[in-house]
Amino acid sequence: MNSMCYRYLSSIRSIGVGCFGSVGLALAALYCPYASAETDLYTTKVVPLLQEKCVACHGPVKSEAGLRLDAAKLIRQGATSGSIVDSNSPNNSILLQRVAANSEERMPPSDAGVALKNEEIELLRQWIVAGMPAPEHEEFIASPADHWSFRPLGSRRLEEASSTPSKPILAIDQLLANVHAAKNLEPLPPTDNYTLLRRLTFGLTGLPPTVEEIQSFLADESPDAYEKRVDQLLDRPSYGERWARHWMDVWRYSDWDGYKEEVRGSQRNIWHWRDWIVESLNNNKSYKQMVLEMLAADELYPLDPNALRATGFLARNYHRSNRNIWLDATVEHTSKALLGLTVQCAKCHDHKYDPISQVDYYRYRALFEPHHVRTEKAPSDATPPAPPIPRIYDSDLNVATYLFYRGDDKHPAKDTPITPGVPSSLPIPCELSIDSVSLPIDAIMPELIPKNERLAIDAAWKKCDNALDQLNAAFAKKKSAERNEVTSNNDFDLAFELAKFREAQTALESLQSRYAADKAKHLADDESLAQTKSKAAIEAEERWMEANAELQWRNAQRAVIAAEKSNVEDETRKKAAYDKAKKELEKTTETYHKWRKPDDTVRLKNYTSVVKGYPKQSTGRRSALAHWIVDPANPLTARVAVNHIWARHFGAPLVANTFDFGLKSPKPELLELLDYLANRLLESDWDMKALHREIVTSHAYRRASSDDETRTASWKAIDPDNKYCWRFNPLRLEAEAVRDSVLASSRLIDDTMGGPDVSQDSGETVYRRSLYFRTAYEKQMTMMVLFDSANPSECYIRRPSIVPQQALVLANSTLCRVASRTLADRLWKETKQDSREFVRLLFLSTLNRPPSEAEYESCSEYLSQSSLGSPHQSLAHVLINHNDFVTVR
Amino acid sequence: MKPNTNPTKPLSRRALLVDAGMGFGSIALTSMLAQDRILGADDVDPKSLIKRFAPKAKSVIWLFMIGGTSHMESFDPKPTLNEFAGKTISETPFADVLKSPYMANERVVAFDPNNGFVRTEIYPLQVGYKKWGQSGLEISEWWPHVAECADDLCLIRSMWTEDSNHGAQLQFHTGRHRVDGFFPTIGSWVNYGLGSLNENLPQFVVMGVPTADCCGGQETHRANYLGPQYDGIPLKVDSKDPLPYARPPQDVKADVQSSEFEFLRKLNQITAEKFPEDEAIRARMKSYELAFRMQMAVPEVVSFDQESKKTLEDYGLEQKETRTFGGQLLTARRLVERGVRFVQVYHGSNGGAGSWDAHSNLKAGHSKLCKEVDQPIGALLKDLKQRGLLDETLVVWATEFGRTPGSQSSNGRDHHPYGFSVWMAGGGIRGGMAHGKTDELGFHAVEDRHYVTDIHATVLHQLGIEPHSLVVPGRKRLERDFGQPIRAIMT
Repeated sequence: MNSMCYRYLSSIRSIGVGCFGSVGLALAALYCPYASAETDLYTTKVVPLLQEKCVACHGPVKSEAGLRLDAAKLIRQGATSGSIVDSNSPNNSILLQRVAANSEERMPPSDAGVALKNEEIELLRQWIVAGMPAPEHEEFIASPADHWSFRPLGSRRLEEASSTPSKPILAIDQLLANVHAAKNLEPLPPTDNYTLLRRLTFGLTGLPPTVEEIQSFLADESPDAYEKRVDQLLDRPSYGERWARHWMDVWRYSDWDGYKEEVRGSQRNIWHWRDWIVESLNNNKSYKQMVLEMLAADELYPLDPNALRATGFLARNYHRSNRNIWLDATVEHTSKALLGLTVQCAKCHDHKYDPISQVDYYRYRALFEPHHVRTEKAPSDATPPAPPIPRIYDSDLNVATYLFYRGDDKHPAKDTPITPGVPSSLPIPCELSIDSVSLPIDAIMPELIPKNERLAIDAAWKKCDNALDQLNAAFAKKKSAERNEVTSNNDFDLAFELAKFREAQTALESLQSRYAADKAKHLADDESLAQTKSKAAIEAEERWMEANAELQWRNAQRAVIAAEKSNVEDETRKKAAYDKAKKELEKTTETYHKWRKPDDTVRLKNYTSVVKGYPKQSTGRRSALAHWIVDPANPLTARVAVNHIWARHFGAPLVANTFDFGLKSPKPELLELLDYLANRLLESDWDMKALHREIVTSHAYRRASSDDETRTASWKAIDPDNKYCWRFNPLRLEAEAVRDSVLASSRLIDDTMGGPDVSQDSGETVYRRSLYFRTAYEKQMTMMVLFDSANPSECYIRRPSIVPQQALVLANSTLCRVASRTLADRLWKETKQDSREFVRLLFLSTLNRPPSEAEYESCSEYLSQSSLGSPHQSLAHVLINHNDFVTVR
Repeated sequence: MKPNTNPTKPLSRRALLVDAGMGFGSIALTSMLAQDRILGADDVDPKSLIKRFAPKAKSVIWLFMIGGTSHMESFDPKPTLNEFAGKTISETPFADVLKSPYMANERVVAFDPNNGFVRTEIYPLQVGYKKWGQSGLEISEWWPHVAECADDLCLIRSMWTEDSNHGAQLQFHTGRHRVDGFFPTIGSWVNYGLGSLNENLPQFVVMGVPTADCCGGQETHRANYLGPQYDGIPLKVDSKDPLPYARPPQDVKADVQSSEFEFLRKLNQITAEKFPEDEAIRARMKSYELAFRMQMAVPEVVSFDQESKKTLEDYGLEQKETRTFGGQLLTARRLVERGVRFVQVYHGSNGGAGSWDAHSNLKAGHSKLCKEVDQPIGALLKDLKQRGLLDETLVVWATEFGRTPGSQSSNGRDHHPYGFSVWMAGGGIRGGMAHGKTDELGFHAVEDRHYVTDIHATVLHQLGIEPHSLVVPGRKRLERDFGQPIRAIMT
């Protein structure tokens, strides 16, 4: 049905959101590196037009009629049936005839796209008339497998790197040196040590270096001073916090959102997953292991609650109102985040650019179809116990997946259930092998784990204790009333409390009996014991039901009395309330009577099991997918991961579109570097700290970001955007790092790690690191939002802005004012009001560099202005507002 | 200078937009652009794609009633309801409305067992109507002050939307159903598309308590993928605390602060000279200058010292029930007077669906709410007109949907997405006009039907922007997102 369906479906292609970028421009830029004036028409106009209108069916993915229109050479080759252009008589070109046709012949067909406008046809005509000029070495791929991101990661060819023991050159630098030589670029020299240490400390920990750290680094003359510092920083817990926030962007961390107490998106206590990310990074858990746990810890480590936290990655997609939205998000973001693929574009129709069919979309969805969220007891023995962990499990092993015509869930193709799988036409040479997983009894019946049973029984005991206390209190009240000869409803209150106690007591007994019965049934192989216990459990539960009925009845009695005595003035309303109470009393009286003399209409046939009875197996689909993703032969995974890591060190990724490595993603300029890093990640068994170490110890990372303009002018002429890393990019700190550095430089920071999300409204008064504050749709700290924090629904890369509201926050927030005063007062005291030393330490604390002479002079003058009241505090506040406070150079 | 449209590039040579014409948020680096854009679109400035023509209006005041104002008790008289009161719709000659294909437009977010049903027992009108002005427009008696401006109003009685629950509030502002997610709102598109007329003030201002989390929350005035610089800026009518972080903590003296700003400029200047190629530092310096001016200008806008006693009375600032909304509308006038482009005022937020949500006690509820807004709106229209501002200010009154012709809980009406009313005035819109129709019961919009984005398109058109040209590469907009300008109502 595919090609038929495709045409039909493409007419409504606009349903897919975000699938159709201005791909033409992208490809023009990709394929036409040698564009000249005469080929301009082709590269700027014709290519985008063909890409938009034709290439989906006549390109590398599908070449219908044997025709490809994605390169001039291929257009010349024509279709299976022959040439489609006639240079001698352009108007007779089949290409022009078909796009201009008024009949069914027209291309694109009416159900596949809108007809070309006259001026677009004219454009094609002009180009044909001009002899189809195109760049000489126009690149195109023979097939999707030829696309750069699908090519296998080769072995490194870096043995020739001119590395000598005395002057080691890392492969990263060797690769860049080759590029620089080819492009006639000369990289900038290393930056100064102050700038370098600030860059490195922020880069690895998201915090500024302290004055002491700066001084010790500057004083360390050993040749490996820098490398030692790198290792120290990677060992700090703040490393995990810093990089957790980065990965939380990519993995769409969101605290729960909803209306009042109702959860509508994500899950309560999803912060367990955040803590797992921080801990995993600090323990240097491999990227591979993290992916395995996030997708399938429930299948791989079903009894390890610490690992189960990882599945928050999937639980986060929970969407209350609509399961399809939930699964769509799961499909879209697992593929974007881990594979750099836009699988979601194939929901309504075959993917326009990538070899992903609509069926593939549903195959991929089927991998997730059975999964659902439940909670798991947190492992800690803390009091009060930590809130439960939201985690994933396969709840419905037999649920079917159907393709939705045009992506519309109202029209499932019920006759052909979809088999789970990964997109079959993707040129990825790994096998997906799905084997169902048998789960241990403790995962199937977690209620019967002795510790969990104890907790449940303890809670029931506690309820008894409380009821008993209240009963005693009611009794004392009655006694006191009788002594004082006060009339009251104490009899009713006492009877109510007594009933409540009975209820709690029978509930406890029933729970104990039900546990005994469930254990006999599920854990002991003794039929008769099970029957005895079951009978006892039924009886205990009936006693509980009776006690409960009495409690309801007693409660209704009290309500009637209250209604009688009500001091509501409106008689009608008063009567209505009374009638209602009376009715409730009648109802509860009847129920209570039934339970006192139970007959078959109320007697229980079975007891209420404490065991929910989760499935005994899991489909194994998600662990199969996880293994497929981290298979070393999967060419995408490592490339996508290292691109994210590189982007966050250098402020610019190697592959511009961090979530789309598909055919519309142009070959990156530094592909060799990307592939080298990806190979390194694989070779090191996905060791991320090792990768960080290699990146930050490279010369590329240590370069200056600026130099004398006369010296840089020629490099900027060649590479204005620094695509080839001939210098370091100045970076604006991310939102979290801005706030954290206000706290850190003033030493106000509270470095408590982990735990429940802190209210987003308390960012000015609670000095925890910013990643611990609530972030969800509608629940974000204003200061974070203003500094371009991650949109919790999607943020594959941050985009820094400069807006006046940021100035207002830094200038006017209480946080910055308090921090600057705290910092200033401390330094003022430490330096015994020596203004030169004060200014030096203030600069080191905030900008992490000493002041220049000009700065020193200006500041001294400023400090002498007595009209300012406390000029030292003012000066600290100015430095927190300094451009370079939020900048890494 | 073009903005850097390549999101992945660091702050670089072309990254910077310092364009006085773009005003608040104008001094933006890069980030406005789409998540899923791609390399190579490097040289396309999406703002350069905007098609412009001579505008009829300079500013918009957008009044939004939260909860769903009954169209039948405000701007769309349906005497038929009185005639068939108590009967079920099937018992009337208009039984067909229930079989209309328009019924299929409804999209439900999450089933609500209580609300969002078609109510079939016809409920009579709870208020009378009069004809007003030379045009004889019919407006209910709960809106006497607005009605006095009948000859300036263009009622649009043929709106429809999809969401039968209050996510329709979000939908009215983004044009997308709640389950589709979040998108730029009309105010943010205006902010994005138009240059600034006053650099000292934000260009998109929001007043009143926004829609609650259930129904869009802050997203009802945010810019989503356009970037935070185009978000609506919440403004409180409180000269002591008008904007988030607009004022330093109380114990910071004004002269201390201004000397700090001055000294900051000096220190930044030293750094700027050291890094002459760093455009970010100059942008940041400029952002501080703007922030400083804004901090001065904003409290002035919300201070009414210069307004006459009569003006204050007209807007209802002397009476309890109109004081809040009246103050917001007077501020709205002061904002547009000073060149602010889009002022969005919410009325009726109650932490939930909104106080216009009259499932019961419609008469008591609506008549009270009308009292809160009618006089201030009337005063605003007259004030703008008297100052010659109405010609260049487009006033839009709207709500997320109408209410059912049938009754709910004996004296209320349920949600009704199939037909409802909004109105516009000024800004090149014809006055004294009723455009479009619902059927006899007020059930379906039947003539000149308009989905909510037609209002957006009309607003943009009057401001001199071709709606279809508001696109950001990589962000596919559906045809319906753009809407169609309602040409029939333009002068």
